[in-house]
Amino acid sequence: MSPLSRRQLLVGGASILGGAVLAGGLTGCATGSTAASGADRLQFWHLLTGGDGAKMADLVKRADAATGVAAQQTVLAWGTPYYTKLAMASVGGRAPDLAIMHASRLEGYAPGGLLDTWDDDLLAEFGVRESDYPAAVWKKTFVDGKHYAVALDAHPFVQFYNTDILDKAGALGSDGRIVDISSPDQLLEVGRAVKGVTKTHGISYGYLNDGANLWRMLYTLYRQQGATMVFTPGKKAEVEKDAAMAALDFMKTMLDGDIAANAADGGTALAEFVTQKSGIMFTGVWDTPSMKDAKIPFDAQPIPPMYSEPAAYADSHTFVLPHQNVVDEQKRRDAHEFVAAIVKRSLSWAQAGHIPAYNPVTDSAEYKKLLPQAHYAGAADIANYDPQAWFTGAGSDFQTAVGNALQGVLLGQTKPEAGWDQLMGVVNKKLSEPNPAG
Amino acid sequence: MASATAGPTPHAVSAGERDASRARGRTVKRRRDNRAGWAFVAPFVVFFVAFLVVPIVWGLYLSFTATSLTGAGNHLVGFANYFEAFGDADMWRSMGNTVWFTVLSTIPLVVVALAMALLVNTGLPGQWLWRLSFFMPYLLASTVVSQIFLWLFNPQLGLFNHLLTSIGLPPSNWLNDQDIAMYAVVGTTVWWTVGFNFLLYLAALQNIPESQYEAASLDGAGTWRKLWSITLPQLRGTTGLIVVLQILASLKVFDQIYQMTTGGPNGSTRPIVEYIFESGFTGYRFGYSSAISYIFFAMIVIISIAQFTAGRRGDAIARADRADARRRRAAVRAATKGQAA
Repeated sequence: MSPLSRRQLLVGGASILGGAVLAGGLTGCATGSTAASGADRLQFWHLLTGGDGAKMADLVKRADAATGVAAQQTVLAWGTPYYTKLAMASVGGRAPDLAIMHASRLEGYAPGGLLDTWDDDLLAEFGVRESDYPAAVWKKTFVDGKHYAVALDAHPFVQFYNTDILDKAGALGSDGRIVDISSPDQLLEVGRAVKGVTKTHGISYGYLNDGANLWRMLYTLYRQQGATMVFTPGKKAEVEKDAAMAALDFMKTMLDGDIAANAADGGTALAEFVTQKSGIMFTGVWDTPSMKDAKIPFDAQPIPPMYSEPAAYADSHTFVLPHQNVVDEQKRRDAHEFVAAIVKRSLSWAQAGHIPAYNPVTDSAEYKKLLPQAHYAGAADIANYDPQAWFTGAGSDFQTAVGNALQGVLLGQTKPEAGWDQLMGVVNKKLSEPNPAG
Repeated sequence: MASATAGPTPHAVSAGERDASRARGRTVKRRRDNRAGWAFVAPFVVFFVAFLVVPIVWGLYLSFTATSLTGAGNHLVGFANYFEAFGDADMWRSMGNTVWFTVLSTIPLVVVALAMALLVNTGLPGQWLWRLSFFMPYLLASTVVSQIFLWLFNPQLGLFNHLLTSIGLPPSNWLNDQDIAMYAVVGTTVWWTVGFNFLLYLAALQNIPESQYEAASLDGAGTWRKLWSITLPQLRGTTGLIVVLQILASLKVFDQIYQMTTGGPNGSTRPIVEYIFESGFTGYRFGYSSAISYIFFAMIVIISIAQFTAGRRGDAIARADRADARRRRAAVRAATKGQAA
């Protein structure tokens, strides 16, 4: 390899600089193509990619047209990277005018002064009121009595099933929907019958290296037993260990290699379900588009109440106003108008699988015709968000800790008690520390 | 210099003046040269100061504060962060993981690279093909490598489990088994980066003068003798370089682990760099995170010093050996001369 000559170096350097100038020019074009220049537009950050991202882009376009607010989307990677950047932007005084945040993350952001509150009167002026929302979802958008978020949707953890396979396994009722399941044993039985048809597995569920998905199922089963989980800073976590043990025990039984694969991640589980190698899948509503694309005969419902009460893990995408050092009143007003316009048009958001939070949309005739969405819409009423604390929520350290402590339990490498105690050790340590953002 | 050449005679004085004015010209010229020099290094200096010196000093200051990501808690807390870090089991575990990864990866990355270079250098047909295929993985982005191996290690659909079960062995959970995950990550890393070391070795091998091998052959040395007595000693410098570069690269490990296991299962692969990232960016504690960075920094300095001293001692031994050999040869020459006389 010959060393770089000076000429090569200069040419290389010039081309890099040229590239930068070109790139700058291109972005310049993109922002300049509409009437408003980049800085004047309503800066809107979100973490929605794939099918969700395409639907959101479409919604933004339609809301722009309806309101005349020119919003500029910035899409960042889901989870930790997004929340880190959002926090840093707010701290650095360069926060966007509007952002998407999981309802479960509000507690970590609002008290630290990273978010500003919504003006309820202004929202009402644009047609968004408390009466338009399911109570559980509306309540979740408040922190310490202040309104920090406007919910776009609820996206619960639900049960999908393949109607053809379940019919063959004798698990389909006369109405073409899955038979009522009211106990864990009954679900396992159905799972075994389905495995008899598919020969591979009865149920698909992925949790490997995915603490979030492990948590969604665990918390659903935990809450179905009527057990509560309260995290109060400065105190030990208030949890019901028996309920957690029962939930883990059931999950372990299900993941026996027959009823469900012992070790699968989310992608593998979805692949198994859409290639009809299993008849039931536990996952979030956001997988609906993938199943539609696969053109398999399927339906869905909230996770059946197998213990004492119905409950489903859920989260919500919400709109928040990142803190501005200097508030531009016109932009604030635009943000209210723009969000109201999106929420009202969220029927198309339902196609991405999410349950629109705005009642007039879910009450509409069009939504009722949308399947399987309409069949699991009831899950929004039994929505259970993460236990409230600054370190919990979507993509949080807490969900990572769940994966760390409990994945080994499901794989049979760790005793359930030991795994649970490890998780509570992490939680109690966090509770003993002050909220660093507060 | 100029004043030293200036003599006392009138004639010499004028010569001295000439010299002095020439010297002045030189100084001006040198100053102008300096200006040009500074202009050339300025872009680097600006980046160096802005992105290295300032963050280093600022980070050190942060490590003595309770600063959070939001800027709250911006007051001095003395050594509290350091004391907390020394008592933090997760910090030590992550540090241990980084060191263990470095040990596990450095050895094969040197030995395998050397073996591959020696094989290719034996003059196998299709040299370019070997060179290309050994070096190619190094050109891949870490994200690509991680994706490839995530699929290969997939417990349900992966190639490795398919191979295991097809020869009647039980499947493994690879990246999700606490006892295996680190080895799986090391295997991935070796496949990915061994090509660079291979290339360094190959270049070094091709620089060994053919005459040495000829001379050894004339003295009746076989293939192994030539390998031990010529090739390996001639590669000493390259090996030293590779070991140093490799240890530093392995200590910095982050990408592939974050992408493949996010430090899991249960923290069994989490390197210290990821723990620094988590403490600061997802745990919001910049002060604490800075303190851990400086502990890690101190560790790297200690390792570097140890390596440097070991290297010097190695050189000293080699020098002593060489001196010893010279003395022996001289003695032999003297003896044979004596005999001849």
